[in-house]
Amino acid sequence: MIGRFFLKMAAATSMMTPRGSGNLLAKAGGGVQVPAHERFVLDNGITLVIVPRRDVPLVAFNAVLRGGALGDPAMKPGVASLVAGLLEKGAGQRDAFAFADAVEGVGGSFSAGASAESISVRGQFLARDQQLMLELLADALLRPSFESEELETLSARHIEMIKAAKDADPSELMSLYARSFLFDDHPYGRPVIGSESSLANITQQDVLDYYAAQFGSDRLTLVFAGDVDSAWLRRMVAKLFGGWRKAATPAPRLAPAARMPGRRVLLIDSPGSVQTHFWIGNVGVDRRYSQRAALDLVNTLYGGRFTSIINTELRIKSGLSYGARSGFTRGTVPGEFAIHSFAETENTRKALELTLQTLDRLKRDGVTAEMLESARAYVLGQYPLNFETAADWAAALGEIELYGLGPEYIDNYGTALRQVDLQDTRRVIDEAFPALDSLAIVLIGDAAKIRDQVKGYGTITDMTLTQPTFEPAPQTLAAA
Amino acid sequence: MKNRFTSFFMSLGSLSGAAKAAAPAVPGRGMVREATLANGMKVIVWPVHDIPNVALYNWVRAGSRNEAPGITGLAHFFEHMMFNGTTRRQPGEFDRLMEAQGGANNAFTSDDVTVYQDWFPHGALDLVFDLESDRVANLAFVPKVIESERGVVSSERRLRVEDNNPGFLGEQVQAAAFVTHPYQFPTIGWPADIQAWQMSDLQKFFKTYYAPNNLTLVLAGDLEPERVFELARKYFEPIPRQVPPSPVSAREPEQLEERVLVVRRKAQTPLLQYAYKAPAAADARAPAVNLLLSILVDGDASRLHRSLVEEKRVAIEVGGHWQEGFDPGLLWLYLTLPEGSDPDEVRELVDAELAAIADNGVTAAELSRAKNLSSAGFWKKLATIDGKAQLLGEYEIFHGDWAKLFDAPAQFETVTREDIHAVAREILDRRRRTVGILLPEPEEEASEEAVLEDLEA
Repeated sequence: MIGRFFLKMAAATSMMTPRGSGNLLAKAGGGVQVPAHERFVLDNGITLVIVPRRDVPLVAFNAVLRGGALGDPAMKPGVASLVAGLLEKGAGQRDAFAFADAVEGVGGSFSAGASAESISVRGQFLARDQQLMLELLADALLRPSFESEELETLSARHIEMIKAAKDADPSELMSLYARSFLFDDHPYGRPVIGSESSLANITQQDVLDYYAAQFGSDRLTLVFAGDVDSAWLRRMVAKLFGGWRKAATPAPRLAPAARMPGRRVLLIDSPGSVQTHFWIGNVGVDRRYSQRAALDLVNTLYGGRFTSIINTELRIKSGLSYGARSGFTRGTVPGEFAIHSFAETENTRKALELTLQTLDRLKRDGVTAEMLESARAYVLGQYPLNFETAADWAAALGEIELYGLGPEYIDNYGTALRQVDLQDTRRVIDEAFPALDSLAIVLIGDAAKIRDQVKGYGTITDMTLTQPTFEPAPQTLAAA
Repeated sequence: MKNRFTSFFMSLGSLSGAAKAAAPAVPGRGMVREATLANGMKVIVWPVHDIPNVALYNWVRAGSRNEAPGITGLAHFFEHMMFNGTTRRQPGEFDRLMEAQGGANNAFTSDDVTVYQDWFPHGALDLVFDLESDRVANLAFVPKVIESERGVVSSERRLRVEDNNPGFLGEQVQAAAFVTHPYQFPTIGWPADIQAWQMSDLQKFFKTYYAPNNLTLVLAGDLEPERVFELARKYFEPIPRQVPPSPVSAREPEQLEERVLVVRRKAQTPLLQYAYKAPAAADARAPAVNLLLSILVDGDASRLHRSLVEEKRVAIEVGGHWQEGFDPGLLWLYLTLPEGSDPDEVRELVDAELAAIADNGVTAAELSRAKNLSSAGFWKKLATIDGKAQLLGEYEIFHGDWAKLFDAPAQFETVTREDIHAVAREILDRRRRTVGILLPEPEEEASEEAVLEDLEA
């Protein structure tokens, strides 16, 4: 975090505004089409997707393992995240240093990370190094060392990085607090990166157990995009991955979480802070939500671009905040809809009131035809920028396989965007955006100065920023 | 159309082989076109037809380097004001019109430059030229809007500096590293200055620095250069040239002794930052400086990461950055330390690593790794229209000629271990550095009580 000198890159207009809320494509006639590709399922269940782009002598890969943090023990969040981090810390015949030397020595990249429902290993190598790339990937997935010393180093680092984020920009941790508060005991409520408290308790046995239960051929999708010889690649994948066992347990299944009724407030105390970060949300919709195009258009208008309704109120018109945005996290089951912004401590209530008023207006009045046309042009116009490189396609196709969406998720998107009408926008506003009286409100700031400002918003639950978990209840501290 | 993209990457294959291999030529040189308008404004175009989009960068030669005590932060404030209306268009119309035709935009300010970026479908080209030229020709100065924008910048400052320990320490280190050069000013501005600018300050700054002869426009994407030049002549050429800004004359005197500053803040993790005096961007040793930095901090196999994070475990993160500017600036190294560490002990370990490089140089494997990582990073950037527009602009502005971009890989290849050793000896000189240390405030009894109460509640 300290590596990015914010001062030097003070983004004026849209540091907080995502460029495009998803993947949208927009050539004049139809939209972005998934390029010609091949898809195979190996005997042991591995899905292999190959996207040849021979003009580019680079190969990007994306290995997606279904499971992710869903496979964490309920009381020990963070295991999947540590497992992912350890994959490149020694595998096959190489220790951690030899592995890093092998990757970086040829100018390659290789990184693994966990998310709520998967672990993804991504990287890019020059085409001439693709055999090395495959061997490193196979070692990392099939023969990770999981040495206890590396585990200790990594978990200690992760603990300290959480503390460092609290010192630098606690808003980076906001969604962890908020998801824990909103989803409670549902697996989406667990912090994917773990907490200071849970990470300290994760043992080598936890890592080995996770690996045995959650890693295996039936969980794996391999995507390669770039300058590859498809026949050669198939043979190599069969040779290197064809003998892999299946995971010891079936992939975790999820029940949807219920929307939270009523309003509740989580107040996270950061004494002396001069600003309040706030998050407002509730459970939204899932990845397969049928009205995705309308959803993206309405969210673009509400909080997905610079002139969005909330950025207009909180930044452009009032000057209260540097930025405000909103978005949907859509998983196998509904994730959250969330609004995030921040304001000077003294203006906390003013900013919250303005935000709630915009949500009220959206729910009552919806959007106009003119707004809809603008959002449609915007989303269509920004779409192609998401698919310029082989690495972009490796990422997109991995996601399509993980959620079982099929290429039509991209191919039909432009058409779907063009067909959205005002009735569709009304439907998603009713279905997916939370009711004004049912909201989780999470605040990070100087509690002594905020508490009175947020009176009347709902029952207040307190915790402190330095507390070593992302959930307020003290009993979890004791149980960990 | 695809052919151009193909040829662009053809030579990448020759990146293979050992570091000794000849650097690949960078395709595209023959496609880039440039024109200079009658008012002195330069326009550079790289047509690439792979996706139906365009990336536009408008480079303004004005940054915090062009400020003075009392008006620090002015360049950055302009970066905000440029979106707030003209005599022809209401505040907000710039964004509304651009987004309604599928375009998005952003901007950033540094010590040296302010850069405006647009990404849009090619059909919006005419509109984007209209909007970009309108704000240069007709920017409005409305008192109410200026006051509101002061609030936005103050919020940005709280986010990046006042409630942000790395940002806070970095600002202090930068201020201490220079005694006369304006590189000492924080780009976002000192708090009192943000509240103090007068309308006349704004108008003067705008007239001087937002003159067409002080701008360079770079476009990459689905474009025909002749059409771009036609639009540039239509929209920008009528804007009158101004007297060029006076050059920044300050010359930082040689730093004679190490400067150390200690900041105490509410914190869990201590911080350690080093700012070494380093050459200007156009210096001939620039490739060697970049490779040295890569050897030190780029990737898990880098010297400082491996030694301090993995082996000795005295840091949780190590990073670095060279401020490549018009004038000699700073080469930064920064470390985040685990809770409870003693920064002085870590300093000794860091210093030992740096002394080893200054004394003994680097290995052939280290240099080869750094060259391969730099090549990979360069090609990755060139794979998008945004990266192309950015790199063309950087070479034009900071190296005096966009065409030098096409020599970049060859420049990296010529660097030897001796070159690295020489720049390491010169730059990593502790007498010419400023060290910043951020320590946690001592625990107050009151706050401990508060924590206990919360747990019991």
